[in-house]
Amino acid sequence: MRFILRRLANYVVMLFVATSLTYFMASFFMDPRSNYLARNPRPPMASIDASLTAANINDKTPVLERYWHWLVGVVTRWDWGLSPTQEPVSGAISSRIGASVQLMTLATVLGIVLGISIGVYTAIRQYKWQDRVLGSLSTFFLVVPTPVLALGVVIAAIWINQALGFRLFYVTGLHSYSGSNFWLKLSDLGQHLVLPTIVLSIITGVTYHLTQRTYLLDTMNADYVRTARAKGLPLMTAIRKHALRPSLIPTTVQVAFTVAGVFTGAVITETVFAINGLGRYFITSIVQNDINASVAIAAFAGACTLVAALLADVAVAWIDPRVRLS
Amino acid sequence: MADTELTLAGATAPDVVADEHDGDLHRTGRLALIVRRFVRRPSAVVGAFLLLFLIAFAVFGPMVANWGYDEPDFLALAQAPSAEHWFGTTTGGSDVFALVARGLSRSLLIGVLSSLAITFVAALLGTMVAFFEGWFERVGMWVLDTLLVIPSFLLIAMITRSASGKGGWLVLAAALTAFGWVGYARVLRTLTLSLRELDYVHAAKYMGVGPFTIIRRHLIPNLGSVLIIQTVLGVVAAVNSETALSFLGLGVKAPDVSLGTILQAGQSVVLTSPWVLLAPSLFLVALTFSMQLIGDGLRDAIDPYSRSGGKA
Amino acid sequence: MNAIVTANEPADRLIRPGEFGVDPVLSVRDLHVSFASEAGTVRAVRGVSFDLLPGRTLGIVGESGSGKSVTSLSVMGLLDANARVEGSIRLKGRELLGLTENELSKYRGNDMAMVFQDPLSALTPVFTIGDQLAEALDLHQDLSRKQVRDRSVELLDLVGIPNPAERLKSFPHQFSGGMRQRVMIAIAIANNPDVIIADEPTTALDVTIQAQVLDVLKTAQRETGAAVVMITHDLGVVAGVADDVLVMYAGRPVEKASVDQLYARPAMPYTMGLLGAVPRPDRGENRRLVPIQGTPPSLVDLPVGCPFAPRCPVATDECRVAEPDLVPVAGNEDQLAACIRADELAAQGVTYDQVFTVDESAPSVLADVPRAERAPVLEVTDLRKHFPLTKGGILRRTVGAVKAVDGVTFDVREGETLALVGESGSGKTTTLLEILKLEAPQGGTIAVLGKNVAELPRAERRALRRELQIVFQDPMSSLDPRLPVYDVLAEPLHVHGWSKQRINDRIAELMKLVGLNPDHVDRFPSQFSGGQRQRIAIARALAVEPKLVVLDEPVSALDVSIQAGVINLLEDIQATLSVAFLFVAHDLSVIRHASARVAVMYLGQVVELGDTEAVFTAPRHPYTRALLSAVPVPDPQVERTRERIVLTGDLPSPAAQITGCRFASRCPTRALLPPEKQQRCDTELPVLTGQDHTVACHFPVSPENPGLPTKEN
Repeated sequence: MRFILRRLANYVVMLFVATSLTYFMASFFMDPRSNYLARNPRPPMASIDASLTAANINDKTPVLERYWHWLVGVVTRWDWGLSPTQEPVSGAISSRIGASVQLMTLATVLGIVLGISIGVYTAIRQYKWQDRVLGSLSTFFLVVPTPVLALGVVIAAIWINQALGFRLFYVTGLHSYSGSNFWLKLSDLGQHLVLPTIVLSIITGVTYHLTQRTYLLDTMNADYVRTARAKGLPLMTAIRKHALRPSLIPTTVQVAFTVAGVFTGAVITETVFAINGLGRYFITSIVQNDINASVAIAAFAGACTLVAALLADVAVAWIDPRVRLS
Repeated sequence: MADTELTLAGATAPDVVADEHDGDLHRTGRLALIVRRFVRRPSAVVGAFLLLFLIAFAVFGPMVANWGYDEPDFLALAQAPSAEHWFGTTTGGSDVFALVARGLSRSLLIGVLSSLAITFVAALLGTMVAFFEGWFERVGMWVLDTLLVIPSFLLIAMITRSASGKGGWLVLAAALTAFGWVGYARVLRTLTLSLRELDYVHAAKYMGVGPFTIIRRHLIPNLGSVLIIQTVLGVVAAVNSETALSFLGLGVKAPDVSLGTILQAGQSVVLTSPWVLLAPSLFLVALTFSMQLIGDGLRDAIDPYSRSGGKA
Repeated sequence: MNAIVTANEPADRLIRPGEFGVDPVLSVRDLHVSFASEAGTVRAVRGVSFDLLPGRTLGIVGESGSGKSVTSLSVMGLLDANARVEGSIRLKGRELLGLTENELSKYRGNDMAMVFQDPLSALTPVFTIGDQLAEALDLHQDLSRKQVRDRSVELLDLVGIPNPAERLKSFPHQFSGGMRQRVMIAIAIANNPDVIIADEPTTALDVTIQAQVLDVLKTAQRETGAAVVMITHDLGVVAGVADDVLVMYAGRPVEKASVDQLYARPAMPYTMGLLGAVPRPDRGENRRLVPIQGTPPSLVDLPVGCPFAPRCPVATDECRVAEPDLVPVAGNEDQLAACIRADELAAQGVTYDQVFTVDESAPSVLADVPRAERAPVLEVTDLRKHFPLTKGGILRRTVGAVKAVDGVTFDVREGETLALVGESGSGKTTTLLEILKLEAPQGGTIAVLGKNVAELPRAERRALRRELQIVFQDPMSSLDPRLPVYDVLAEPLHVHGWSKQRINDRIAELMKLVGLNPDHVDRFPSQFSGGQRQRIAIARALAVEPKLVVLDEPVSALDVSIQAGVINLLEDIQATLSVAFLFVAHDLSVIRHASARVAVMYLGQVVELGDTEAVFTAPRHPYTRALLSAVPVPDPQVERTRERIVLTGDLPSPAAQITGCRFASRCPTRALLPPEKQQRCDTELPVLTGQDHTVACHFPVSPENPGLPTKEN
């Protein structure tokens, strides 16, 4: 227990250092003043300075001073600062997380389950035609850049819609029905979710397929599978009973990190399908020179990563007795 | 001849360098074996030819095109492919063929450059962290872990956001390198940990060979096959990141062109001018897929376990 | 195909089923196994035939690549899918070849069972011992939960695992290697098989644990009445357990006889060579080992004729024409040999020293200088190295200390060999590493050539590195595969700033010194065989003319026939260059042969130190006695009559806090002592006492006090 606490403490330090670095980087590379300078008519200098100072992003204030101010706010009041538009960052983020979770949950579960299943299926059929076909497909999807994949799905969906003559798939947003009928609401959400879910499941699934296949091939050739066969288990049973579980140990670590991704969203997919999740928010805040929002998102993502690392440890200890007891 | 020193620059292609000062017989033997195994995989050969074609397209495309990528044809806005504009034009009248040729060379350049740089940095730092035991290793690992806490994509986006103009792509390549090496360095560290325990490394240490000589002479060359494969596959990753950033408007920006920016331009006209999207998508997929095929082929060809095959 | 048929026919005729009134339980005929590989078809097994009678033990002996393991795996049907198996394997009269995986699995674990070499990887890490044992029982028997449990406890008890009922819940990683091998044996005998195949079952184990496991195997065989196929490279193990022996070379059986016959009167020159090459732990005579020249042929393109002919000193032109069949030797119909000159050799009763020429050992330069007058090159005094015992992943915490080395004292003098011997966990490797670091140790002092390394300035430490070189165990990993031999040898010379011309000359000299062709300096390590690579490693160590070379298990990775040549080389080098060796090994036979003095280590301490002859002939520490008695002797007569002290239990964990004698928990002497004397063993740490032959024991064994128990149970 003390050990877990110490690890937690280390993670907090890591997160603090990483977030602070991000703060300085963001302050260095982003120029919120340009937002105002670009306005037409240009606001008076004094009013620009006042707005920037109010949001604690005025480049005329020394960066260390701004940093200290920001840090005190975060630590004492859980106040992650203001956008150049004077909107509080904390509130904006939490609403975006919700959208991201709605988008990602199903896709992540589907991707992981399908990916692992196909991985196991193809490993057992190594070098057979099923393995070759699925393997080539996965390799192909693995390298297709996400924008291409997402836009491809959009084009296909529009084509289907046109062919059907009515709008089966929605290509933007998460909702368009505003009534109160639960079933209509659900089917509306479904119509919006299908396309991004397909994209995200493919992205997640192909990675799991290829890695799970490798892991299982590794354990399939282990000495203990041979022992199991020597006991009298037929090859396939021996693999199912003895090779599968050890091969899931590294996959578990991967799952932990993927689950963390549910909360941080998907930048490209959210952009293409115009879903106001965290990923899209991040792009918007960078484009708008929103230092505080960018740093807060980075910190949140970092926290998710570290929680995933802890989860991974716990999960591995649960599944692997060698870790549990040593 | 035997005391030809390996140069640090050779770290990216240690196989070639390490073998340079040996009898020609062995070198050709080894290379021939790799080539033979590589050629035996049809997919690898397809990948290699595809890549050659793409490079040729990037180099000679602008020369044969009717239009330059920066000379819009205002008489042909958003036109479908025709004899004049082979891949059609954008809404702004730019020739898609010229854009794709230009964008392809940009994407390739960024991908190859940053992948090479990433491999170099990762190899150097990864082996160092693994080789120097004690506090250096512990601090090094902590730093690597800390750098991995924040998703690198976010940090890269922050840097490249402010860079624009013709030199923007260089900033992008630098940013991809600056935050792209950490994961590779960790992988290489793990590999070096097992190399470190090999007796020839111990032997060199006990003989009094200096640490940097050991890294240069024993560790990096023996990671060689991994580094080569990683560099090839790293191009795929770098091209993907570049495309994503440019697509989001954070990477390469106008007036410069990359495949990602063409995609971005095409996104808004999916319904009206799908050809703007089609051509760059095809080329992009061809690029990443060919690199992946080559990388997979190389991995099988330079399998480290079959190294000790031939006996005297 | 012709050759195969003729090769098989006589063998078939000669193995007479029902000779002892029983039918063979396992009958293998003309077994051929080949694999497709990059280089071509590997013909791993070429025409093996044997019969196994119930309750008997057949030893299959051969060096690496001889096809012995492939033979066993093909009997079990456990080869990879790319293996082509031809011939016939009949188990209790039923043909196994051609059965489907599901049909075959009914026999596996039920009628025939197998024990593998590496116990550390042979058990599934994520299941308990109980689950894995129960699985074996459930597969072939219809038992209730309780019956399964009772039978599991009974089996674990049978193989000597203490507290069997509780240990059922343990996971494999909580067991030592020896214990895991016992579990493997328990699983193998769970369903009372008729055949147990043991593939190098003790190779990965320490010698005292090996003795325990061999005992357990014997018990298991007695309980089940099974026939055993014992596959090993160790001629000592075979001599102790086998009734009949099959010697394999290049995928073929080359000699088959009863164990006594084979050791006393081998008929095939290869068998003779093996027996001559293996050092004897029980004899002190300073005989020169007999190396077999050359290396085994590649199984991809075998030469025409007898595969051993290129290495055989009595080969004639006729030998190179056709591969000889395995036929009875004239005068003894039970002995089969695949050698056209076997009859001739057997009739003359020749042995290895007449067949193989033994080169004279080089005269020693320092032979006439008594030990006391030689300068010490290495003095280690009270060396200590404790490792903090940590747990956890990223953040480590200290939970104790492992006393890997705890008060080790010895010295090595000019031109002599001191052997450090001990089982795994004894601290011999840690001792070496501490010495090689040339830095101030955690505790105690290390002096090289009279200079205390703790007080050396940087430059002098660097200079001192020259005097201290190392040869590692594994010739595969001790040479950088990317460097040609020239660069490998030049590396230490560069470090010490030699000029290019001098390096060139020196390398040619070194290659000749270790018996390699100087023209081969441009080749890569992978182009040399294991023995040649070890010679290169030795050359590298000698390059800068050190005073002391540390040899870390220098021959344990080599096959017997190769090992002899390397040992002889080391002897000659020492004689001519008067370099001192610190020789670390676990193989007591090699040590007896190769070293003048020996230090026996147990749990981080030296328990006995003296001249090799004195220690081997009159060991005084109970541990040394047990260790020596556990070493199998390659002589069936000796093996049958000797008394063996089998130690109980495993080495205690090095992290355990022990106040008294570290050996007390396993000591057979202590068990016989009255309680007040036992008290002393438990509380007071003994120190090395004595003049030239020192021992760390309160109640050492002496000629006047031989009342030692010989067998524990």
